Amino acid sequence: MSTIPEVYVLGGYQTDFARNWSKEKKHILAMMREAVLGAMRETQVDPTEVEVAHVGNFAAELYCMQGHLGAFFCEIDPAFSGLPTGRHEAACASGSIALLAAMAEIEAQRYDLACVVGVEQMKTVGASVGGDYLGTAAWYELEAEGIQFPFPKLFGKLGDEYDKRYGLKDEHLAAISAINYGNAKLNPKAQTRTWYMNEEHACSRTDDNAEVGGRIRIADCSQVTDGAVATFLASRKAAEAWCARTGTKIEDVPRIKGWGHHTARIRFEDKVAESKDDRFVLPHVRSTVTDALGRAGIADVSGIDAIETHDCFTTSEYMAIDHFGLTEPGESWKAIEEGVIALGGKCPVNPSGGLIGAGHPVGATGVRQLLDAHKQVTGTAGDYQVEGAKNVATLNIGGSGTTSCTFIVGT
Amino acid sequence: MQVTSTPKLSLDAHPGARPIRHVVVLGANGTMGFGSAALFTTAVEKVTFLARTTEKAEGGLAAAIRMVRSGTVATKAECGSYDDDFEKVVGDADLIFEAVTEKLDLKHQFFERIDACRKPDSIVATVTSGLSIDALAAPRSESFRKHFMGLHFFNPPNVIVGTELIASKDTDPELASFVESYCENFLGRVMIRTADTPGFAGNRVGFKVLNECCQLAEEHGPLLVDEVVGPYTGRALPPLRTVDLVGWDIHRAIVDNIHANAPDEAHDTLKLPAYMTELMEKGTLGNKSGKGFFMKDGKRRLALDPKSGSYTPIDEIARPELGFIERITRLQRVGLYDDAMQVFLAAEGDAATIAKKVIAGYIAYAFHRVGEVTETITGIDLIMGFGFNWAPPSVLVDTFGGDATVKLIEGADLSVPQQLTAALDAAKGEPLFDRQRTDIGRFWVAA
Repeated sequence: MSTIPEVYVLGGYQTDFARNWSKEKKHILAMMREAVLGAMRETQVDPTEVEVAHVGNFAAELYCMQGHLGAFFCEIDPAFSGLPTGRHEAACASGSIALLAAMAEIEAQRYDLACVVGVEQMKTVGASVGGDYLGTAAWYELEAEGIQFPFPKLFGKLGDEYDKRYGLKDEHLAAISAINYGNAKLNPKAQTRTWYMNEEHACSRTDDNAEVGGRIRIADCSQVTDGAVATFLASRKAAEAWCARTGTKIEDVPRIKGWGHHTARIRFEDKVAESKDDRFVLPHVRSTVTDALGRAGIADVSGIDAIETHDCFTTSEYMAIDHFGLTEPGESWKAIEEGVIALGGKCPVNPSGGLIGAGHPVGATGVRQLLDAHKQVTGTAGDYQVEGAKNVATLNIGGSGTTSCTFIVGT
Repeated sequence: MQVTSTPKLSLDAHPGARPIRHVVVLGANGTMGFGSAALFTTAVEKVTFLARTTEKAEGGLAAAIRMVRSGTVATKAECGSYDDDFEKVVGDADLIFEAVTEKLDLKHQFFERIDACRKPDSIVATVTSGLSIDALAAPRSESFRKHFMGLHFFNPPNVIVGTELIASKDTDPELASFVESYCENFLGRVMIRTADTPGFAGNRVGFKVLNECCQLAEEHGPLLVDEVVGPYTGRALPPLRTVDLVGWDIHRAIVDNIHANAPDEAHDTLKLPAYMTELMEKGTLGNKSGKGFFMKDGKRRLALDPKSGSYTPIDEIARPELGFIERITRLQRVGLYDDAMQVFLAAEGDAATIAKKVIAGYIAYAFHRVGEVTETITGIDLIMGFGFNWAPPSVLVDTFGGDATVKLIEGADLSVPQQLTAALDAAKGEPLFDRQRTDIGRFWVAA
């Protein structure tokens, strides 16, 4: 392990997820440009230092009629012309796959400084069409075609599976929603920071909080979001040079200490069938987490100070709680009731507000999670800071629990 | 089950701090009343909607629920009438929020009644957008005056976060500071402290620009004015469409107040055009009357000819060549905002001259107000950015460059505010806009 070169995170920039870039009449390039220029401003990285770029994006071909996003990176600054770039897609885990690729290249010592951009522009189409596009993250013909809002229904089934195996109360899902919305109010980049929301609303069973798929109601869903996030990953050599220039100590620069990455069968019912004798409903997610902890040399989740997880729906966060090991399998509700996951709890989950509160620009989410982890361990998260956070884990999921990625960021 | 600990920043140690558990909203059947009442339910245990009749108050509650799309507003709300409930609920309230019709006499009547029954430490706030806070407070008791202030939410308050706080000369400074922090932390507001001057900060600067566009429309027509001072100059909605949305009568009330009570270097631009007065007499009030600068006839959009009062389909109106706007929006569309504004500065011709005159006037007027309505340009920047959704004056200066801005103002035959040159000197090449973590790009709309 010790022979694998270290990968440092120098920081980055997130666009304001409350913005509607279609109303601003902007091209997806504008969003990438703002994120990358913002990241250079925040980190004082010069464009000439960037050696490679990886773009995470799910479906710009559908939402924006535009592919080949790696090439658009070179439009951002004249110094980028000629850089090696590429675009990565793994549904909602696209951003994390771009990070993994950048990381691997630094570990392979091909490059010393990589820019990773996650980006998605989703408000170009209405809810129904957007829901159909998102269906391509499942097996479209078998699970999504002709179905209104397929994903809430798939994650409703995840809740049903928990209910069948262990029992599940909707009030615990509502609590997850309320915590995420509450945390988002402290995050100046969160999409829902000014929205009207409270626990009672999340629990309500009225038309204001209508059903969208099985047990999933509006308040259980993440948002349709326009957003981009850029971050810089660096080798030890580049990080040291950066430290010398910015007056930072190398031991204060966060590293990606561990990572995990697994992909399960794409159909939800196949995943559930495979796990029927397992303690975990989604064992590949569990392996992703344990791989990352193992690579970081952290024995278990008690060594993690906060988690930024994938709460595309409240059921996915419910699943993440026990898969991280915060409770025994099936007992996620205990961590909710005991206040473990709330800001100020033993292991806050989604201090940023997560996908429900902060927003979910699909291809940007994994990069946003990593940047939030960086903010936490550098003490720069502002009002949603987890006091004294040293190690923060992410979990980014594509599809119905299909592609899973975890990073552990710490100093 | 208490499962969450939704985090809130404690203000207990703040000087002037006091618990705010019960808010009473007067005029809760009006838009500002029910909108503000809905906002308060996010932070306090009880909000009482008061109106002439309980039925009207209940109508306000129903509208609040529709506005924020959550029936949970009702669980914290009570409704009552001025006749039956006023003294009881106002006597219990920690914050009394007045949102009745903008008439001085009427407000005096309400404040007299509040003065007689309020708890000694309760806060009294008015949402007035035009009346003087000092004048409203003057006839009242010392305790009332110490606890009274203007709290100017913008409509709709659940969407627009920019909020002005106006202390009177007798307001307890610690209390004003506490209310400011309270609104920031518990109501998600962006707070701006302004002086008790006509129109305060936002309406003073914003309606100066809007009225100048109304004046220009007389010669150039509303269609051209809205295009050349369009979204690309840093606003979500073009100026004359904004006046139509606000309502011509409201526009008149605001500019008449400023014109009558705040003679300043741009006095002429605040004079309501005579054609608007004439047309208002015939019922032209903007969107709410079905016609204003623009109207719809089926699917066709028509524009007013201010000289004749008639409307012409917009596709039949001849316009000059506006290629510079297309070049600018093409750059803004891909995020090249600085380059776009360089094209603006270099643009020539009558249309560009109109746009430059308005934008230079906006920047100059805003900086001239520093020291009069706000302490620094930041207050004006924030209310224009988060109250009007316009590019703040400092953002424009930063985008143009300091020297280019001075040239632009001189080119429009306006006096360069000493406050601008002082701010540029102090900034030493750094940006003037002091909220650099705000996405500046959001202010540019590529249209």
